[in-house]
Amino acid sequence: MRGYLGIDVGSVSTNLVVIDEKGDVINLIYRRTQGQPINAVRQGMDELRQNLPNDIEIAGVGTTGSARYLSGVMVGADIIKNEITAHAVAASHIVPQVRTVIEIGGQDSKIILLREGIVVDFAMNTVCAAGTGSFLDHQAARLGIPIEEFGHYALRSKVACQIAGRCSVFAESDMIHKQQMGYRMEDIIYGLCQALVRNYLNNLAKGKELAPPIVFQGGVAANAGMKKAFEEALKMKIIIPEHHHVMGAIGAALLARTAIKNRKTNFKGFEVSSIDYQTRSFYCKGCENNCEVVKIQVEGKTLACWGGRCGKWEVQGPEELDAVVYSSTN
Amino acid sequence: MNATVGIPQALLFYKYYPLWETFLKELGVDIVVSNPTTKKIVNSGTSLAENELCLPVKIFFGHLVDLKDRVDAIFVPRVVSVERGTYTCPKFLGLPDLARSLDTQLPKILDPVFNSRLGRKRFYESIFDFGKQFTKSKFRIWRAWMAGVSAQKAYQKKLLAGATPIEAIADEQVSTNNGDLKIGLAGHPYNVHDPYINLNLIKKLKKWGVSVATEEMIPPKILEHEANRLPKRLFWSYEREVVGAAFHWMRNKSVDGIIYILSFACGQDSLIQVLLESEAKKRKSVPLMSLVIDEHSGEAGMITRVEAFIDMLRWRAV
Repeated sequence: MRGYLGIDVGSVSTNLVVIDEKGDVINLIYRRTQGQPINAVRQGMDELRQNLPNDIEIAGVGTTGSARYLSGVMVGADIIKNEITAHAVAASHIVPQVRTVIEIGGQDSKIILLREGIVVDFAMNTVCAAGTGSFLDHQAARLGIPIEEFGHYALRSKVACQIAGRCSVFAESDMIHKQQMGYRMEDIIYGLCQALVRNYLNNLAKGKELAPPIVFQGGVAANAGMKKAFEEALKMKIIIPEHHHVMGAIGAALLARTAIKNRKTNFKGFEVSSIDYQTRSFYCKGCENNCEVVKIQVEGKTLACWGGRCGKWEVQGPEELDAVVYSSTN
Repeated sequence: MNATVGIPQALLFYKYYPLWETFLKELGVDIVVSNPTTKKIVNSGTSLAENELCLPVKIFFGHLVDLKDRVDAIFVPRVVSVERGTYTCPKFLGLPDLARSLDTQLPKILDPVFNSRLGRKRFYESIFDFGKQFTKSKFRIWRAWMAGVSAQKAYQKKLLAGATPIEAIADEQVSTNNGDLKIGLAGHPYNVHDPYINLNLIKKLKKWGVSVATEEMIPPKILEHEANRLPKRLFWSYEREVVGAAFHWMRNKSVDGIIYILSFACGQDSLIQVLLESEAKKRKSVPLMSLVIDEHSGEAGMITRVEAFIDMLRWRAV
């Protein structure tokens, strides 16, 4: 059976998904990146190999997420795509009529508007990560509640209290203040969810028409409190897909399925999990820009380089990479 | 030996370099242009500058530092107004003063005043005033200025024909610009054409098979006409051009999408962003994306946005 592998390496989680020819998920891995994307991909590949049925043959690979180039070089990607496109592809595959995609991940949040299956507008948070998964994670840890429980607490709230959500630093001091005043934990947590939703709608969805069906995906979609807060604010039903936390990887796999057609895949096989990848960074001395260039190496041989402004390091990587980057943007 | 005068490769350099170069050369000085923006220039500029200034002005200071030890004087004109009834950015009005107040030893600052609001007669008087320090002959100053004006006209002709300012100034061949998709790049020329500031956006787009249009490729008359469709006349000249270009593309749909590059701390940009976004929403003709640039902008986030924007446009085109 032919399968397509999608890998989404983000700031917080690393997700791998294998889909079949129809686009259904055969297997998925969700694990924390823990700041080590190479290890996360290697371990993820290892885990995936053990769980896959024996008759699966990987016919195409796509990578996405902030470490898409790195993971693309490691596994031999057929397509390397930005996460906005990957999320849109996955959402419209699972809910074909989708017109709004809300995606909140570990460090970024996005809104994607589609009409008749085509992306017509999108926005992404800029410098500020207030209201994303990392902040919720941090608050859960501070309150001593497992992040998985966070949503249940929120749902038990009767009177949500007002939290300032414009900035995560202020939100935190506001929460501490409310705790000291004696507000109930549930109400503070749901108040936080509402603040994050307000912040999202004001920053990203500003002036955009949020038409149903609305799909909510990304790691934060697991939080039932966030779903409820969105539904209350928008007065609409929100759809959370079954595999909401790995939608980027599903999108990458779907893109690989489209990209591959009858070509042969570049996939290097699951053995990459046992290869020792090394990265090195150095300052290029070619000019006054002193770009910080990163090299990815195997046994001293350089697979690829990036980070230079002038592009001279990119061309010294393998030609396949250039071809992949080129075909990814065409 | 002639005196050497430095011209910073920043801000209005992209608009008027040929005029300034020819004018000064005809007055008998040698010209030194600062190096293209690098990380070193940005760092030296931002460390000297007031924190609240926009990135392009901070970078301008870096270019002053780049020049200071190799010239006798630096040319920092006070460009108050370039057409009747308008002004330029307040920072341009005070640029020589800002430069002099920097905490570093700079050579002499040459700061002729260009102010069209005062009428033709007084405009030329200030040019004669400036020229006096190089020659006693009023005729020579006049001739130098006219030579500058004709160099400027030749320059604008090249820009209209599709050369980027850098290509036109260096007299390079115009790089190929034909892709399956066309993007209009709106924004101040010093943001659109400085490859360091915008993380090499033009080159990247061309590499991805996208052709690029900029405001310099649109005849000034059209820019003027389009900008006049705003209910109230904008009183900043350069911003009128940005608005004019974007409105032009939105109306005749000669591009598939518009990317508007703006500086984070720029007052005018913050107003224009709203004008452009509301016009784009009203017309619904061409997608518009704003890219905000400051000294902290990381390449990764910007590339993701531009890539996704292009994906979206290609997707629509299918």
